[in-house]
Amino acid sequence: MIERHQPLPEGAASEINEPRTGQAPDLHGRPLPMRQYSVSETVDAVVVGTGAGGAPLLARLAAAGLRVVALEAGKHWSPARDFVTDEVAQSKLFWNDERLSAGGDPLAFGRNNSGTGVGGSTLHYTAYTPRVQPDDLRLHTEFGVGVNWPLSYEDLEPYYDELERFLGVSGPTPYPWGPARNSAYPLAPLPLNGAAQLMQRGCNTLGIRTSPAANAALSGLYYQEGVGWRAACSNRGFCQAGCTTGAKASMDVTYVPLAVHYGAEVRAESFVTRFERDSSGCITEVIYMREGREERQRCHRVFLCAGAIETPRLLLLNDLANSSGQVGKNFMAHTGIQVWGRFEEDVRPYKGIPGALISEDTHRPPDADFAGGYLLQSIGVMPVTYAAQVARGRGLWGTELREHMRGYNHTAGINILGDCLPYEHSYLELSDEPDARGLPKPRIHFTNGENEQRLNAHAEKLMREIWATAGAHDIWAFPRNAHIIGTCRMGTNSDTAVVNNEGRTFDVPNLYISDNSTFPSALSCNPALTIMALSLRTADCFLERARRMEN
Amino acid sequence: MKTYPPGTVRALLDSDMVTPQTREALRARLSADESYDEPSFLDVDLFLTLRAACARLIPQPESAKPIDCASAIDKRLANGEGDGWRYDALPADGETFRRGLRGLDEAARAKFSFSFHQLDDARQDELLLAVQRGDVKGGVWETLSANLFFEELLAAATEIYYSHPLAQELIGYAGMADAHGWQAIGLDQLEAWEPRASEDTSD
Repeated sequence: MIERHQPLPEGAASEINEPRTGQAPDLHGRPLPMRQYSVSETVDAVVVGTGAGGAPLLARLAAAGLRVVALEAGKHWSPARDFVTDEVAQSKLFWNDERLSAGGDPLAFGRNNSGTGVGGSTLHYTAYTPRVQPDDLRLHTEFGVGVNWPLSYEDLEPYYDELERFLGVSGPTPYPWGPARNSAYPLAPLPLNGAAQLMQRGCNTLGIRTSPAANAALSGLYYQEGVGWRAACSNRGFCQAGCTTGAKASMDVTYVPLAVHYGAEVRAESFVTRFERDSSGCITEVIYMREGREERQRCHRVFLCAGAIETPRLLLLNDLANSSGQVGKNFMAHTGIQVWGRFEEDVRPYKGIPGALISEDTHRPPDADFAGGYLLQSIGVMPVTYAAQVARGRGLWGTELREHMRGYNHTAGINILGDCLPYEHSYLELSDEPDARGLPKPRIHFTNGENEQRLNAHAEKLMREIWATAGAHDIWAFPRNAHIIGTCRMGTNSDTAVVNNEGRTFDVPNLYISDNSTFPSALSCNPALTIMALSLRTADCFLERARRMEN
Repeated sequence: MKTYPPGTVRALLDSDMVTPQTREALRARLSADESYDEPSFLDVDLFLTLRAACARLIPQPESAKPIDCASAIDKRLANGEGDGWRYDALPADGETFRRGLRGLDEAARAKFSFSFHQLDDARQDELLLAVQRGDVKGGVWETLSANLFFEELLAAATEIYYSHPLAQELIGYAGMADAHGWQAIGLDQLEAWEPRASEDTSD
């Protein structure tokens, strides 16, 4: 199907002459002038969600001169004013609407992997931004399991280059793993904290290569187009519960202000529930709840960027884009087992970028008895998160729990991020239990298969060895799955996939999806940078197609 | 075993090492202890069971005025505050706690002929361990997973306890004192304002 012809505005920067009647708060709570569109006006695009999938393309479309409105379920925070250094107070950053966790390995959501607010889950990501390696995208070719991606590393590479430059990624040059890079990271790596030094010590002795990691947090003052100067990271260590300084490249201090600069409107606290369609099946209106009232925004097209749970949930609720029957299927969650140890040294796990050190020597371990691989990262941790893991993971209580927690300052962790295969038994469905809005809560079935069990076992053994070598005692493992992936698979065939490799749905000509739901496989690295790369690529593919249709 | 001197976090809260916003959030939690409300979600019997269970899950023998995890759990249930997910095998949080606490009390009556909150520490611990291990049968446990209920109860009490400034003081946490950032972040490196531990010879 071909999208109906819609004229594109002339060039970029039309924002200069347009009145700016709205306001968007900046980092410090100062109002940035923002364009506003009327709900009766038919805007060029509505973007649902402002995280790593939505914000980059929002900025790209606005820069091309499109009239775009982003609808974000959460609030528009001003981190320097609204965020505090307290885990409980910051739970406002997490998607706290209840999801039902079923299957053999019920998955934790909320702070584990799901954010809300302008910036989405990047408000609480650790900013760990490794690239994929080329073979990550060819899992089926290499191992005969899972699926290949319908695009290659070469398709992503220019976007990785652009993203690292724009966000100001701090990383090592040279980077020890993967293909040669076109350019150095724009900033030197962030300093190593205690956990990183300990992991380095253990790995050095065992002959495992390590490197300071690539993190999208600034190791020096950095100037950013459309935003201005951003301050260097102050080593607060609080990335997973919100950065107050703007040093971490969450979307609210990078692509969102850039988008606003180019004339996008960001409409916060707008919870999308439905879509109106015309006789040809195209979406004509996005319906959402705002301040307790239903509003409708007319639009020419929709970019759905609500994440691997809310995106398929919306599609299933609206019986949309699912002729393949694949919406909600192929649910994956990164293998993410953590190993913790207790050291004589003062570690103070609350200081420094949490994931300061990386090793990708385990990307394809020679002695692997599983498909795919994983990376290793050192991790810091805040006390409430750690205590809850000790309670849930070890079941310690009473005096034992309190004695264990007295060693908090001497605790360091290593974490993996590894592949996870899609299975028939892991999927999302709508339950018959309504939430506060009267919409069915999603139920997510998840069970690690034999491949994940083997990968986790391999990783646990290795991490225990690293910690023992580094001098740890009381070593323990916290089994866990991390990032949520899949549910609207990208592919070449409309029978087995929901979107094509440009992110466009096979069924609805003017509906695109850009978030972690489209990943065909889980990848052996953190997803954020790749979500952003796909977001920019989807925007460019769309703009290119639109230009071709005009000429 | 390391111990940290008392008063560290409270002193930091009075200093400019803590941002005004963080200070406000933590002071509110400190002063919440002053107001000891009646339970608003659980009935009095279930609340007594919860309070007794919390006292064993997070014993605070050193404190004349223990951090009140039970009231905070009751408040959380009353406000319907969730954390984004729940085990599909469990009913809604409020129902899970009501039924689980009733089951704990029934187990106490069946085994020791007293309410749970009337038992001594050892007997309470014995029952809690049985629930944690799923080693309880009949009654509410026919339809409620004992070990999952225990996990939720323990996680709730633990999160509430360790989010309290006084509990953070005991483990030497000073992460809230970040108004000027951290420079000394490597192994064995401490800023002047971070609490120092001393060896506790009593254990």
